[in-house]
Amino acid sequence: MFGGAVVLVMGALGLRLFDLQVARGSYYTGLSDAQRTSTQPIKTSRGLIYDRKGRLLADNVPTFAVKIRPADLAAAQRPDVVARLAELLDLTPESIIETLDRNAASTFDLVRIASDIPTETARVIAQEHLQLPGVYVDVEARRDYLYGPLVSHLLGFTGAISADQYEGLKPQGYLNDDVIGKAGVELTFERELRGTYGIEEIEQDAQGRTVRVLRTAQAPAEGNSLELTVDVETQRTAEKALRWAMNLVGLKRGVFLVMNPQTGEILAMVSLPSYDNNLFAKGISNADYQKLLKDPDHPLHNFAVNDQFPPGSTYKLVTGSGGLEDGKITAQSRIQTRAYLTIGRYRYYDWNHAGFGNITIYDGFAHSSDTFFFQVAGRLGIDRLAYWAHQWGFGEKTGIDLPAEASGIIPTNQWKEEVFNGQPIYPGEVYQAGIGQGYDMVTPLQLINAYSALANGGTLYRPQIVRRVLGPDGTVVKDFQPDPIRQLPMSQETLRTMRVAARHVPTSRHTYNLVDLPIVMAGKSGTAEFGVRDKKGRLPFHSWFVGFTPKNAAKSASDPNGYEAVKRTDSELAFLAFAFDSRTKGNAATEIVKYFLQLYYHTNVDLRINSLLVRDNFYGN
Amino acid sequence: MGTLRLQPARVGAFTSKAVSNLWSVFDVQLAFYALGLTVIGLLLAYTNSAAAPLASGSVFGRALMWLALGIMAFTLAASIDYRWFRSFAWPIYFVNIGLLGVTLAIGSGVGGASRWVSIMGLQFQFSELAKIVMAIVIARFLTSRGERVGNLWTILGAGLIVAPPLALVLIQPDLGSSLVFGAIVFGALFVSGASIRWLAVVVVAGLASIPFVWNNVLADYQRLRLIRLLDPSSDTQGSLYQVTQSQIAVGSGGLFGKGLTNGAISDRYLPVNTTDFAYASLGEQLGFLGSILVLVLFGALIWRVLLIGWRSKDPFGLAFAAGIASMLLFQVLVNVGMVIGLMPVTGIPLPFITHGGASLISIAFALGVLQSINMRQDRPNW
Repeated sequence: MFGGAVVLVMGALGLRLFDLQVARGSYYTGLSDAQRTSTQPIKTSRGLIYDRKGRLLADNVPTFAVKIRPADLAAAQRPDVVARLAELLDLTPESIIETLDRNAASTFDLVRIASDIPTETARVIAQEHLQLPGVYVDVEARRDYLYGPLVSHLLGFTGAISADQYEGLKPQGYLNDDVIGKAGVELTFERELRGTYGIEEIEQDAQGRTVRVLRTAQAPAEGNSLELTVDVETQRTAEKALRWAMNLVGLKRGVFLVMNPQTGEILAMVSLPSYDNNLFAKGISNADYQKLLKDPDHPLHNFAVNDQFPPGSTYKLVTGSGGLEDGKITAQSRIQTRAYLTIGRYRYYDWNHAGFGNITIYDGFAHSSDTFFFQVAGRLGIDRLAYWAHQWGFGEKTGIDLPAEASGIIPTNQWKEEVFNGQPIYPGEVYQAGIGQGYDMVTPLQLINAYSALANGGTLYRPQIVRRVLGPDGTVVKDFQPDPIRQLPMSQETLRTMRVAARHVPTSRHTYNLVDLPIVMAGKSGTAEFGVRDKKGRLPFHSWFVGFTPKNAAKSASDPNGYEAVKRTDSELAFLAFAFDSRTKGNAATEIVKYFLQLYYHTNVDLRINSLLVRDNFYGN
Repeated sequence: MGTLRLQPARVGAFTSKAVSNLWSVFDVQLAFYALGLTVIGLLLAYTNSAAAPLASGSVFGRALMWLALGIMAFTLAASIDYRWFRSFAWPIYFVNIGLLGVTLAIGSGVGGASRWVSIMGLQFQFSELAKIVMAIVIARFLTSRGERVGNLWTILGAGLIVAPPLALVLIQPDLGSSLVFGAIVFGALFVSGASIRWLAVVVVAGLASIPFVWNNVLADYQRLRLIRLLDPSSDTQGSLYQVTQSQIAVGSGGLFGKGLTNGAISDRYLPVNTTDFAYASLGEQLGFLGSILVLVLFGALIWRVLLIGWRSKDPFGLAFAAGIASMLLFQVLVNVGMVIGLMPVTGIPLPFITHGGASLISIAFALGVLQSINMRQDRPNW
């Protein structure tokens, strides 16, 4: 009977074994293969960023980041783990809990708690992993911006992907704990820089740990690198010139731009105040971030692109060229300038309350006669003025590959009626529009782009910030060619006249000793009033200078005034200085440009006039 | 309980000549089946310590050591006249209870349990040894019952004897081992001629006490495991995890298995693949044929154990053999049944296959006693 029990038991077990292993063996084999394998992304390194001379601007450095996988952290243990982590990372427990609670992704996705933590802290966390379930220390690459604030407005920065961004970008392979470009070319060229994450099939154990990699389902592709159009040395020179005047006067904000008119390439773009983008790459603290956001001078703002200002007299390029092209004036025709013009009971004063007499456009432009250009604007009318402004690229985005570009404002009759409840434009406002005041608003970038078109013979290019995209192996993936927006619909004669007029600006000594530089340069200064009048009825103002130098700019004996040089269209250097709220005795921007040109061309003379850079609410050029 | 009575040992049994004669009736088959199972166990130990099987302290290294100790225990037990055990059954019983008490006091285990005692750095589970002692004691008791073996007092007396060690093991807590005690006693009673009717009553009473045991004896995790067994649709990551993984491991082994060292599932998904779920690892690596081979070896081994009992003219021999056979059968049923999803998860080892020193040494000792019984019977020449 006991023997029967033995047979019974063995028989039952044997039958079940047969069922499991023979009858349903293939079913279980399938289960066994399926549960062991999973896929995981293979991260790849972000492309680097170089300047046009191949100097490395943005590098990747390995750092430690702390992440939590919520699924691995039991609710009961959370307070202890969070408290300990907060202590180690010098954060508040509340902020960690907030980060965890804000996580909209799956609880199996890693949530970034801290980036770029010290090696010592990483070691302690790794050692305490038994007490810190669900906490992971990741080695990851973060950005190192080698020039920091010097080019931060161009490069931008990377940061942790936000919940909203992750929702939208998940299908493209972004991870919950990913970093993403947040500003500058890091943002606009994110697609190139990021590369493509790979996918590998892995074998996992019961705890979800990777046992081994089975195969690479999709090889990762490293991100492409960018070669900017900017030359760091030029950038440094521009910043030096700008900073010199700003420090001397005590200015808060300023812009300096350098561009190659033949291509539209940006050679330097300085916007002050600036910020250190390394703060962001390292994971900026909330306190530091708030400080940047609340700074009254907006260091995160790239004033060259993101903001718009009245262009002042630099805008007389539009009025003058429009008047010439529409036949309202000729290069030889003279206009009587006065102390002021009268419309009804309003007087429209020239900055020079004596007037300049009966003059041509050369003198009108050189001395920046307001009453001259009031009259030209009046003859053109607001809509023709706006037409020419648009041809020069004002009132529309240039299309540069930088985020949040402002488009400026060019008033027309229709615009005035739409914005001001059906009010038409008044004749006095047409006058104001003709000298870059009133409703006119431009970005510094639009302004230098217009003068570049003047310098190159009338081709308005899309300003470019990236020159080439390079593959991980250094091959050229994309070589950006000059990208014309349009050929200005005006004659070469008009453009030549305006260039010569721009050369008259220094030669007339309107800009003091600027003409004494050993190089030929042309351009236009501007003063733009804004804001609220002071007790004496004076407005604060910005000062501008925008201009260009011909190729082979050294002065020659055969062309002592440089008029012949500026008739050429071979200029490879346009520049713009903008001094926000300058209120100086002389035009601060002109002094900045002068200093820049001295540095850029290594002139042996120093013509800077510090006495012009004294606060004194002078305005008028 | 009978009085302690020293029986005169046959001094001649210890002379060299007598011993050599004795070994001539050594049951080779019993040893062969046991050795076969041990070798399979060793093979698994080797593949499951694939990283460095020969390093000191590896599963395989320890298994080799336990094997050596097991052979010593077997040889020693076989050499000693089994009647000495019969004579000293009661002292051994009380020492055994003492050891179980010590285990409770200083023992350690997983999750607050105290199941084993560390001796020179090695973990030893006295409950394993206690099973064999139980078989000896119950056999001694049944022998003393003589003609009265068929009445109710035999069953009640056996119950009284098994109660103290069973209780000590149950509160470790180790439900599995305590059930093995029951199996040993039941098997010995059954084969020795106890009243089938009263045994049936005990079984029925046992079943009737399930609600009481459920509520008052079982720990939460034990209840959970039973619930999960009855309702396998619960989530696979919970308590049922091991059972599911174990079935996947065995099932994916197929007819011929994945081959030694290829136990991917049992290796990585079954945290206790070298202990309670060793049979799953075997099923995955050696397939249906290997799994069946192990069952056949167990069947043959149990058969030889019973045969020794039946051949023995001594009621002690029959009762002891029945207790051991019953123990083996029960452990195979529960452990293999657990691995293939027929039984709830209990910590009962599979003899020879599960890697554990106490289990192997104890079973080797028991087989040694059986050999001793076999060798020391007056028998006709057949």
